[in-house]
Amino acid sequence: MFERRLYYHIDWALVAAILALCALGVVMIDATTADPTRGNSPFVVTQLYAIVIGLGAMGFMLALDYRTFTDKSHLIYIFLLALLLYVMFLGSSRMGARRWIWVGPFNLQPSEFAKVGVALVLAKFFGENRGTPGWTDLAIAGGLTCVPLALIARQPDLGTAVILVPVLLAVAFLAGMQMRALGVVSLCLVLAAPVVWQFALKDYQKTRIVSFLDPSQDAKDAGYQQIQARITVGSGGLWGKGFKQGTQGQLRFLPVAHNDFIFSVLAEEQGLAGVLVALGLYLFVILRALEAARLAKDRLGSYLVLGVLAGFTFQVVYNITMSAGLAPVKGLTLPLMSYGGSSMIATLAGFGLVLNVRMRRFTN
Amino acid sequence: MEPYEERRRLAIRLSVLQYLVTVVFSILAVGFWVLQVVQHARLDEMAENSHQRTLALRAPRGIVFDRNGQVLVENRHSYSISIVREHTKDLNRTIQLLAATVGFRESSVREIVDRHRREPVYRPIVIVQNASLAQVAAVTARRLDFELPDVVVEQVPTRRYPAAMAAHLFGYVGEVSDAQVTRDTTLKSGDIVGQAGIESIYNNLLMGDDGARRVVVNSVGREIRTLDEDPPSEGKRLQLTIDYDVQKAVEDGFKWSGFNGAAVILDPRSGEVLAFTSVPAYDPNAFASGIDRAAWASLNADELRPLSDRAIQGRYSPGSTFKMAVASAALEEGIITPDFKVYCPGHATFFGRPFQCWKPGGHGTLDLRQAIEQSCNVYFYTVGNMVGIDKIHKWATLLGLGEKSGIDLPNEVQGIVPSPEWKKARTGEKWYAGETISVAIGQGQVSVTPISMAVYISTIANGGTRVTPHLLKAVDDGNGWKDAPAPPPQSTVELKPETVKAIRDGLFLVVNGRGTGGAARIAGRDVSGKTGTAQVISSEGGRSARGRTDKDLRDNGWFVFLAPRDNPQIAGAVFVEHSGHGGTYAAPIAKYVLETFFAKREGQPLPPPLVPNGQPLPPVAGDDPVSPPVPALTPDAPRAAGTAR
Repeated sequence: MFERRLYYHIDWALVAAILALCALGVVMIDATTADPTRGNSPFVVTQLYAIVIGLGAMGFMLALDYRTFTDKSHLIYIFLLALLLYVMFLGSSRMGARRWIWVGPFNLQPSEFAKVGVALVLAKFFGENRGTPGWTDLAIAGGLTCVPLALIARQPDLGTAVILVPVLLAVAFLAGMQMRALGVVSLCLVLAAPVVWQFALKDYQKTRIVSFLDPSQDAKDAGYQQIQARITVGSGGLWGKGFKQGTQGQLRFLPVAHNDFIFSVLAEEQGLAGVLVALGLYLFVILRALEAARLAKDRLGSYLVLGVLAGFTFQVVYNITMSAGLAPVKGLTLPLMSYGGSSMIATLAGFGLVLNVRMRRFTN
Repeated sequence: MEPYEERRRLAIRLSVLQYLVTVVFSILAVGFWVLQVVQHARLDEMAENSHQRTLALRAPRGIVFDRNGQVLVENRHSYSISIVREHTKDLNRTIQLLAATVGFRESSVREIVDRHRREPVYRPIVIVQNASLAQVAAVTARRLDFELPDVVVEQVPTRRYPAAMAAHLFGYVGEVSDAQVTRDTTLKSGDIVGQAGIESIYNNLLMGDDGARRVVVNSVGREIRTLDEDPPSEGKRLQLTIDYDVQKAVEDGFKWSGFNGAAVILDPRSGEVLAFTSVPAYDPNAFASGIDRAAWASLNADELRPLSDRAIQGRYSPGSTFKMAVASAALEEGIITPDFKVYCPGHATFFGRPFQCWKPGGHGTLDLRQAIEQSCNVYFYTVGNMVGIDKIHKWATLLGLGEKSGIDLPNEVQGIVPSPEWKKARTGEKWYAGETISVAIGQGQVSVTPISMAVYISTIANGGTRVTPHLLKAVDDGNGWKDAPAPPPQSTVELKPETVKAIRDGLFLVVNGRGTGGAARIAGRDVSGKTGTAQVISSEGGRSARGRTDKDLRDNGWFVFLAPRDNPQIAGAVFVEHSGHGGTYAAPIAKYVLETFFAKREGQPLPPPLVPNGQPLPPVAGDDPVSPPVPALTPDAPRAAGTAR
């Protein structure tokens, strides 16, 4: 099953870049959560466990041919929908949202895995589809995407739900969907925005968007985080204030600094230099993964890589933009760096699929 | 579609995505460059300000000691509770919560906040000054619960003054006014500075340098750690010339009498002030922790004017105590000798007008000493008429009357010893010789401050040196005590020994002979003094008499004294408002002060406290004011007695 020669085709450069980002993330989590009176931060320990488990998941995703997974994608998809339904009614709730399932010491967030599941099912759908996809195909793919999207949005976790949209659009784009069709879909999304605003968004979500448009309007509440994010990043300067020397993140001017705003803390403590290193690593990971899509031996492989990559890229770009105070605050983590077990495991598992596609480019 | 074509399209679209991602990341990099390099300075400053806070550390003011090292004014710790709006999210909520916590009315807290609304947000707005421990505890507990993160409790040094003693001398402290900040560039808004008395005049010495503590605060305003601390330096310590026990004797004397007034006790050799008071007083401690507006308004509205310092700001007719000035002028100008005799039939006529002596039957024939002893008006009418107003003015001024004493206290007022020039300048009219007659016995337009009376009797005591009364004896700037140089005398004139002797002999007889000052007699101390009784109705005029009670219209009593006669070591003036004859209350107060002074100097037990008896003392015979008030010589001349101010 796992032939020895495949080992030589693993993209070690991509793995190294991913691990470097994970390490950077752990260091920043330590910087923001370490309590000098208490030794190791429990967050760091948890994150290290998550990385280990995630690497295990990555190995598992490598071990089998990706076509094994796409063949079973409908089962995986249905299983994930079941999990999302379970969460909706029986999940554990925190801060007004039901997103988690308690599994032993961990609390699992099925929505993170849904991203991989949707990538798989869309890859299979478009991969087995011969020729240029038409309106019907797009409608079916849209339906496949919208069911989990709706379930996640109801949790409510709009941020994670929205990530599924670029997954659909990217895979459809690569599959040869006419630009006109994509344009129409994008237009529909834009037109749907006011409707969503009116009926689907909760008040706190509206506040966040309003405050983004005018952060100074209410400097202490929603806009406060945005201004604080800019101050935090800007005060870092070229070389940063030094490890654990950042005052804004350390003094809790930023909420959940180890999570949503971890990149702000990096910018503050390591300066523009650290930012460019991190941006470079992310760009390398993304381009390298796109390279895997190009090298894939079949379309299905390319679609799968892009499906995984689209959500990842969208999330990275959005989070970093938000960290600089340039986008509305949304509960979106920074993949590979932010604290969060489910996200880490799901992301590493997803990259397992990317490596898998590249590794098996010569097999039949 | 051919697989080849399909592959080609896929490759193109992947390239598009590659470029897209690269462009997006480039934009992000530029965005961070703008924030972290272009806008770095501005954002860094915002970051600094949002997590650093500078707390002022109030420097304690210098401690004030008496001449023997006894503490007069010291500092105690008090707590103030303030709102710092810098991190306030909801000011209304903070005001509500704080008002409920400290037990204030919400409207009054809001009023304080509104008054300071335009100040910088990082400057604390003090809501509760001198907070009770219960208030401090309540606020602190709520702070820990993050309910009042924008409220700070600060420990501030606060002045503590001795109870009911020399309030006008010490003065009080208060927040610096805008005008003061403009005038003195070393002061800054929010400073606590002396606003009256010693606190004001020696503010530069007493005020220390405030320190500062820079602290890091987190997003809810809680202090995380101290960055650096610049400790405050305490103000310089002052030693005053005041003697605590003599001062207390003066205060107790007035308490015993139950009257208002003023007293200044000097060392006639140097001008050192041994005691100084003005009654009624206020409580400077009330100002120390921030006086509230109601209390301030009531102090200002009080008819007895407790804020005014009678000793240096009150001007009163000196009555018979002025007679030594006339005597000095006559003797020094060689117009009379001490043996010059006048026959007193109880009245005399000058310029066609009758003038009365206080003793209806008259004193018979008297020389100067006897005239002083018995305070004969006719004798001094006669001598005053011989000397003339110019010389009376000259010598009264040389002795210190009608001049500022130059004491180191703010806002001293100048008294009036009239002269033709003064009258010309004031009313544009010429001097009438008849006015000289009433001036000769200290009536008419003569009006003097108690402190100038103390200087006057000191000048007689030391033979002609018009010493400058002063309060500052030594300063300790942290490197040990350094004597403060005594201010030079205001003027010096060598009085002839026989002048001094004759006047002192007369004063000695006032107390130890048949005179009106017997109440000040102390065996073996050779106390010499002179009583004075001045009509209020004549000196203040009928205008201000309206609406006064009988008591308010009673005469003012004076007693000026020196002791011992031949080598005076203490001299002073006691002025008791509306107490009637100067021998009734003023002289006994002086006696108690002198007893205390001598007992302390010789290490004897201090005299027992005076017991207020509540009953008026028996009237002292003699030295009654002239009656009726001196009329003007001509009908169109202003009434000499009615216009003095």
